[in-house]
Amino acid sequence: MQSKMKESDPILEVDNLSASTDNLPILKGVSLTVYPGEIHAIMGRNGCGKSTFSKIIAGHPSYTITNGEIKFLGENINSLEPEERSQSGIFLGFQYPIEIPGVSNLEFLRVSTNARRKFLNKEELDTFDFEELVKEKLEIVKMDQAFLSRSVNQGFSGGEKKRNEILQMALLEPKIAILDETDSGLDIDALRIVASGIKRISNAQTGIILITHYQRLLDEIKPNYVHVMSDGQIIKTGESDLALELEKKGYEWTDNFIKET
Amino acid sequence: MEIIEKIKTNKSIDNQTEIQKICLDKLQSSPLPNPRSEQWRLSNKSKLSNFLDYSVNENNSKFDIPYPKNSESNIRLIIGENCQIKLIEKNYSIRQLSEDELQKYIKEQISCFNQNENWSDLLNLSLSCKNNILGLKINGSKIPPIEIFSYASSNSLNAKTLIIFLEKNCNVELLQVNLGEDTSSLSQSTFFYLEENSSLNHGVVSYGVNKSNLLNSLNVIQQKNSKYNLGSLHFKFNYARFEIRIKQSEGNAKTNIKGMQITKKDEQISTYTKIDFDGPNGFLDQINKSLADDKSHAIFEGSIIVPKIAQKTDASQLSRNLLLSNRAQIDTKPQLEIIADDVKCKHGATISQLNEEELFYMRTRGITLTEASKLQLSSYFQEIISFIPVSKDRWDLLDKLLNEN
Repeated sequence: MQSKMKESDPILEVDNLSASTDNLPILKGVSLTVYPGEIHAIMGRNGCGKSTFSKIIAGHPSYTITNGEIKFLGENINSLEPEERSQSGIFLGFQYPIEIPGVSNLEFLRVSTNARRKFLNKEELDTFDFEELVKEKLEIVKMDQAFLSRSVNQGFSGGEKKRNEILQMALLEPKIAILDETDSGLDIDALRIVASGIKRISNAQTGIILITHYQRLLDEIKPNYVHVMSDGQIIKTGESDLALELEKKGYEWTDNFIKET
Repeated sequence: MEIIEKIKTNKSIDNQTEIQKICLDKLQSSPLPNPRSEQWRLSNKSKLSNFLDYSVNENNSKFDIPYPKNSESNIRLIIGENCQIKLIEKNYSIRQLSEDELQKYIKEQISCFNQNENWSDLLNLSLSCKNNILGLKINGSKIPPIEIFSYASSNSLNAKTLIIFLEKNCNVELLQVNLGEDTSSLSQSTFFYLEENSSLNHGVVSYGVNKSNLLNSLNVIQQKNSKYNLGSLHFKFNYARFEIRIKQSEGNAKTNIKGMQITKKDEQISTYTKIDFDGPNGFLDQINKSLADDKSHAIFEGSIIVPKIAQKTDASQLSRNLLLSNRAQIDTKPQLEIIADDVKCKHGATISQLNEEELFYMRTRGITLTEASKLQLSSYFQEIISFIPVSKDRWDLLDKLLNEN
């Protein structure tokens, strides 16, 4: 399916990626290619390696790549630091966004945005100009300005933390966004706000990977491809109806698929 | 240890004052603290010896204040340079304590001194000459912020003493800055007496340069309904020791303390606190933070004493510590001694390293590891620094110094 002819070069190419932590293999040969404008969903049981996959793409120092490569915009990024990956346009939306007490959200967002702008040879923004920009982006996720004066994610509800992640995505304008269970812990209204934010930010030049357990996010954001992961491997890839089938049949169905292969 | 030899032979000071004589007498029999005592067992002996290696300097060399005066109305004093002060304004007055008042108060204090616990004060008072003692009595309201500087010049030991009485209903904001020049030792002893309903917002910022040493002792007596806030920061000393002794003499008083020490290279900085509740309904909220890097050593020992008379005491003492290197060392020991049975007291200690998940989160937002570590450290400092009464100008200076550190 992914080998069909594309008009542009891929944003992300993951080729036979294996990785481990503390000598424990987690990923066992994952391959995935994302072209501009595509939305991919990765589904699978807890512990199958979905979140690890996202962290390895973002450069988490606790994991070691033992085989394969990650290419971003045609360049091998296996040895790039997390900040270099972010600056060049890779965004990871955390399943559990981290609280950073004492660091103002506004300053954190400004420093991050300027790091990306510097990479893009755009002028860095001072506090006043940044406030203008951030006000505009706050509207995308229906967040109140009061969030800016608080410490990063500290005291935020689950939904507020996820909206703060999407706000960061809106400010950083990544080429590819990997959103790790962005829908978990959200009520229906918050899910719609987050989904609508993601749709507004994504465009024909960007790629999105949604890591999720549930169909409900995929009802809001229709993926081009759905991948099922099990034991550190992608065991099945299909179009959006694969998610529906998975919802009906459960992961046991994919267990049968593993047995068959 | 030149000083100790002179103390032993009673040749340390010419023209001794009565106070100096009393303290020297007390020191002669055992001029050094007991290294096995609780208060001194962790103190680095060779660094303490180095502190005492310099000759006493009673004359004060020209001192450059590190930042400009924030406002004309601020009162700025340098111990040893301009200790003559008499300000009588419409709402307040600040006048110098008479020699009799000083002697009477210090003698009262000395009579309660314990050789190990108050060794730093005994040394200070035996070396501090008349010119280097600043005694003030403050009353009234709308008092402008006060800044008091102490410093030690290179290759010498300077002893400076500050004594302040806050009269009833008086409200004061005071920043004390202790500075050590290269290869110097500063002995600073401070005594505050807070009368009923008075309030003191006290900041202590102490920093040195290469091979500076500091013995900084702070003694506070609080009468009922008084409030004492202390924000302190000690850094860049080869050896520094900050001793805080607070007595709520009748209970019903409030004390808030937020302190921090930063050590690098092979420095040793320690904080010892003793809070005595001598009456009911006392309140204490204390947090002490240490940050140790390289091969340095940070120490915190705190004790809260709650005798039977101190019913309904509400006291909390926390020690938070951050180790930035595998070779750095932190010792911490917050402790409670409670006899009273109707009290609310808690204490605790944590030692951790920079949070790796926080660092990774920031890095995935394009912030470099160095910047992310700085942000995390500044958030660690923030709680303490925001408690020190400092203006924007001084904040910039502090920021600069902390970044250099």
